[in-house]
Amino acid sequence: MIHADIIRKEKLSPTVSTLYFHWDADVKPGQFVMVWAPGTGEIPMSLSHIGKEKAFTVKNYGPTSDMLIKLEPGQKVYFRGPYGRPFSVVKGKTLLIGGGSGMASLHPLINRNAFGLIAARTREEILFMNEFESGKVRVTTDDGSFGIKGNVLAGLKDLDVDAFDMIYACGPEIMLYNLYKYLKEKKVNAELSLERLMKCGVGVCDSCSINGFQLCRDGPTFTMDQLQYMNEFGTEKLTFSGTRVNVH
Amino acid sequence: MQLESPLILASGILDENGYTMRRILEEGAAAVVTKSIGSTERPGFTPPVVAELGENLLNAIGLSNPGIEHFADEISIAKGIRKPVIGSIFGASAEEFSTLASKMESYGADAIELNLSCPHVKGFGSEVGSDPDLVEEIVTEVKAKVSVPVFAKLTPNVTDIVKIAKAAEKADALVLINTVKAIHIDIYARRPTLSNAYGGLSGPAIKPIGVRAVYDVYRETSKEIIGCGGISNFEDVIEYMMAGARAVEVGTALKTAGRAIFDNIKTDIIRFMEAEGLDGIQEIIGAGVKR
Repeated sequence: MIHADIIRKEKLSPTVSTLYFHWDADVKPGQFVMVWAPGTGEIPMSLSHIGKEKAFTVKNYGPTSDMLIKLEPGQKVYFRGPYGRPFSVVKGKTLLIGGGSGMASLHPLINRNAFGLIAARTREEILFMNEFESGKVRVTTDDGSFGIKGNVLAGLKDLDVDAFDMIYACGPEIMLYNLYKYLKEKKVNAELSLERLMKCGVGVCDSCSINGFQLCRDGPTFTMDQLQYMNEFGTEKLTFSGTRVNVH
Repeated sequence: MQLESPLILASGILDENGYTMRRILEEGAAAVVTKSIGSTERPGFTPPVVAELGENLLNAIGLSNPGIEHFADEISIAKGIRKPVIGSIFGASAEEFSTLASKMESYGADAIELNLSCPHVKGFGSEVGSDPDLVEEIVTEVKAKVSVPVFAKLTPNVTDIVKIAKAAEKADALVLINTVKAIHIDIYARRPTLSNAYGGLSGPAIKPIGVRAVYDVYRETSKEIIGCGGISNFEDVIEYMMAGARAVEVGTALKTAGRAIFDNIKTDIIRFMEAEGLDGIQEIIGAGVKR
């Protein structure tokens, strides 16, 4: 387990904070770490900042993330990694599509060539909107409290996806599945970073697998070509005990 | 049971989802052993459930499983490719084991592996598997109940593994060994890394322990043995076989080498056989045992 002191904490919304720390490691966009809250639990977290200063952006949704979000500068974070296959970085125009806290994993890809589509449930959950160049971001919210009312597809409606050299997306599986079906009809380069229950992070426990591919090792990023052979994608998954259930 | 190579996927590694087992068979394993399945659904322990100790791994997943009633689908998905699927089961009594074994057989499992050796869950695994009388009772009852081969996977966490092996001698084969009971403490957090504190150590560190168990049991019994523990390359396979194993199970090495390990080791074994002038791999079984 690696440990580091938190050097800074930035509150992005009532339920989301970014915790910064020094970690001398080569981390690529889309990779993740398993973060440990001693005595509570361990969860996978994308690194939202991968420069000399690293950070993860945490939203409280369960016991472990609740503990992490309470950490303050001077306290320690414990983690292991980095794990996973990163996004392939391309030159040219990119479209970043992030659902909810999925934006955290896309954050390292934000640059002046990037156009952002942020899909959030409400305006409080919109992350990193102001980090895109002006005019290069649009937002959808499920409740219509900001931007376009509707889901990610509503935000794509009049967007020429062919014009991008690469589309990167990260978010809940249902959102990505809808996106996948939409993009499949177009001839586009896209990489989707999937989220699934993950226990070990090192490719042995089988909790995060889709059609025999381990998200933690073969993913979490997958190309459109890889996804077309995965019939479990968007349909079935295993629970914490290993029981097969529908994704919906 | 006929195997196309001696290389089997060990229980507990990438064998909860039928599609994963199927992929591992497609990518080169001769057979797979499923995750250990019990009578009822168990969530298992809260993460951290693994601690990476170099190439070794300490784990306490906690026998998480959907329960036997929900496992039929995974077996049939895995059996989409015509290679053996070995159903691993755990229980607390002979009666529980034999009920589970019948279910596994009815789902199409080609053999049953009795988990008498998980080191980190109270009331199961090695707690059952260190009692020779109970081991004998379980093996006897399961053998009477099913017609597919029955393998008994034994724990190294006992004073004398030969004694347990002899108690399990009605089994068609013995699987030696399961993980070694161990603890890792995070010195900065000042507490055990695993939520369960105790876990099972696997990986290269335990290979000599496994080889010793195979060696001793091979000399003392006439049982067929499947070697397991720390195998990560063809030399490890050959070493286990020379100690008396007829086949081996590979698990933790997938962490470092990925699913391709089965094909890679198979290629290396064929090269070794050519270089050593062997006609069949079975020639080396027990060849390294001092007489």
